[in-house]
Amino acid sequence: MALDIDRFANVASPVQRWDPRFKIAALMFLIVCIALLKTLPVAAVAFGIAALILLSTALPLHFVSHGLTFVVVFLLPFFVVMPLTYPGEPAFTIIGLPFAWEGLRIASLIFIKALSVVLISFAVFGSSRFDVSMLALQRLKCPPLIVQMLLFTYRYTFVFLDEMRRMYTSMRARGFVAHADRKTLHVFGNFVGTLLVHSFERTERVYKAMLSKGYQGQLHSMVTFRAIPGDYVKAAIALVIALALVITDASGVFAVAERGWF
Amino acid sequence: MHISEGILQGPVLAAGFAGAALIAAATMRKLDMEEIPKISVITSVFFVASLIKVPIGPTSVHLILNGLVAVVLGWRAFPAIMLGIILQAIIFGHGGVTVIGVNSVMLGGGALVAYMVWQQRHRFDFARREFIFGAMAGATATISSGLVLALALLTTGEAFGGVAIAVLAAHVPIMLIEGAVVGAAAEFLNRVKPEMLAGRNAPSA
Amino acid sequence: MSRRVIIDVDDVHFNYPDGHQVLKGLSCRIHEGEKVALIGPNGAGKSTFMSHLNGVQLPVSGRVVIDGVDVRKETLKQVRRKVGIVFQDPDDQLFCPTVFDDVAFGPLNLGLPREQIDARVQEALEVVGLQGFEERSSFHLSFGERKRLALATVLSYQPEILVFDEPSTNMDPLNRRNLINWLRNTDRTILLCTHDLDIALEVCDRCLLLVDGRIEADGPSGDILYDRSLLEANKLELPLALMTHELLHNILSAQDMEEGERVIIRNFLHAHRHAHGPENGHHVHIHAHDVDHDHLHEDVDDHHFKEVRAQQSETPRGD
Repeated sequence: MALDIDRFANVASPVQRWDPRFKIAALMFLIVCIALLKTLPVAAVAFGIAALILLSTALPLHFVSHGLTFVVVFLLPFFVVMPLTYPGEPAFTIIGLPFAWEGLRIASLIFIKALSVVLISFAVFGSSRFDVSMLALQRLKCPPLIVQMLLFTYRYTFVFLDEMRRMYTSMRARGFVAHADRKTLHVFGNFVGTLLVHSFERTERVYKAMLSKGYQGQLHSMVTFRAIPGDYVKAAIALVIALALVITDASGVFAVAERGWF
Repeated sequence: MHISEGILQGPVLAAGFAGAALIAAATMRKLDMEEIPKISVITSVFFVASLIKVPIGPTSVHLILNGLVAVVLGWRAFPAIMLGIILQAIIFGHGGVTVIGVNSVMLGGGALVAYMVWQQRHRFDFARREFIFGAMAGATATISSGLVLALALLTTGEAFGGVAIAVLAAHVPIMLIEGAVVGAAAEFLNRVKPEMLAGRNAPSA
Repeated sequence: MSRRVIIDVDDVHFNYPDGHQVLKGLSCRIHEGEKVALIGPNGAGKSTFMSHLNGVQLPVSGRVVIDGVDVRKETLKQVRRKVGIVFQDPDDQLFCPTVFDDVAFGPLNLGLPREQIDARVQEALEVVGLQGFEERSSFHLSFGERKRLALATVLSYQPEILVFDEPSTNMDPLNRRNLINWLRNTDRTILLCTHDLDIALEVCDRCLLLVDGRIEADGPSGDILYDRSLLEANKLELPLALMTHELLHNILSAQDMEEGERVIIRNFLHAHRHAHGPENGHHVHIHAHDVDHDHLHEDVDDHHFKEVRAQQSETPRGD
């Protein structure tokens, strides 16, 4: 399980070079616009744009596979359920179940939008060091307390992942196999409980170490951001694209064609 | 269960963020400096624990454990879960960035309801009290979250009625699993390190 | 040579809110530049004692004065500038996104001017041999690197006093040896809390034995670490370096052997004691004894030692 989202942050590409504050603000705006689209053709265009953005980060494709998996797994049922449960007159029936094209259209729309957003999201956060992204968020007015806690949480995730693996190895070495039964759940309960106890004891020690070095509640950072003209240009392009998508979508140009098709 | 991108309407997404911000502010009041690393570290345990897969039949399901966050952190469970959701969206694409607000309200809110159930244990005193109430907290968290999820789907339109019901049905086995795991964990903590359990003194936080 | 008192702990009592008494009238004074080992069985209160040195915990009664500053709520920042504690588990002390940030954490929080931070971080990393690691994340380093990094995070704000909690645990022999050399060469005041009595023997000229919340013994390492009965009464043992010593001594006194062999073994033991004693191996010699004595575990105030000390004060001590 690869947790370090930023392991390709040093690759050279126009997205990696983009000032993170601008990148996050502009692409988040684009993401929101895409998430609200209502017509399939425009969504398909958005998907193309998202793919282009991801490609221009030079991030390898397997990088986004986990995010795509979630989308597929979560939305697959939609493709089955929605056409079959769409209210109103069905177009026809399949083995006794009503099938509505509209249900299929909506499910497809959601699916394409979700994929597009995930691709862009990975492009955004995979192209900067994690703490740099977090600090960019802080400059964009995200509360410093949340940013601080996100950084600590991220940091300690690696420690606990390690611990979890070691504990699980030792359990398996003693013959444990996960089954769909109460005993397994009991074991998992104890397992998580143990991790929690370790984490609790660790926070006491971490806090002591932080206090010893003068911690008073804020996290200081030496990261500085400096904007260059290219950053503004890229942001402007992203904004224009986003607005173009929204306007095209809202204008209903494709809605007519869609209704004809479906 | 986290909801994915692309489903919900704009106003619902916005309401999600607004709701999350309000509840987060309310549950983070008078935050002690010492709680900052504490919440962060416990959140990362949950984050890592959510990678555990429980087999059910032919497939397997990830643990969510928002009920257990409530048992350990009390009201602070909400910001902890919100942190977990933000990280899951950013690092795994689990859930999504536009639905951070909605997912936080859903899973975090479920945790708060679970905490209220957990606190009821003070009225009773019997041997396996922590297991029973822990299990109830785990199950309550799941079903509350499921209801919010179903509701959110319904706001999008009647077309989603079928999906909403399917989602709720899927939450039933999850409820049982979460209940069993949270119950076992709560009992474990009570035996090994009872000071970690939230709400020890007064029923009101 | 009188050096000023840099740590003054005066009759400190401490108990947790639940009533558990941990420190029961602890007093000690440490001078500037001294290297002191704090030893004792588990549960004696070593961690709690360390927490009192930088105000992470404050005494219920008694006082702690660090370099002239009384440790109180108002003076915490000042005190923490002067005392650097390196804890046992590096993962408890590395909590920032990059190596640079972790090393800069102390200086930034303690108010050092930003322009100097870069230089301080560089220096600290060089001392521990991690220069060039600034942009890396601490969680991807090996255990040995993280241990060294933890030290760097404390060195960067240049405290006068360095306290180490079990510094050599889990360290590979090379890193441990480097640490010992570093500790011996530094001119800061060092307090080593450790179960590794061999490192205490090599580095520290003075030993504090903490038992049940009080200092049971306070003296030169040469005395305390050779005192088997004292150590064993407190769940400790002789340092490994001295166990061989003792074994040979037992052989020497129990067996029948030729006088020639006896002299050889005795000279060896003699040299061994000097090598591992408070002179830290600076002055090792072998000579024939004209007085028949062995001074291995008994009081050592014989004329031979006076001779040694006299010779030592003539040769300058290279530190």
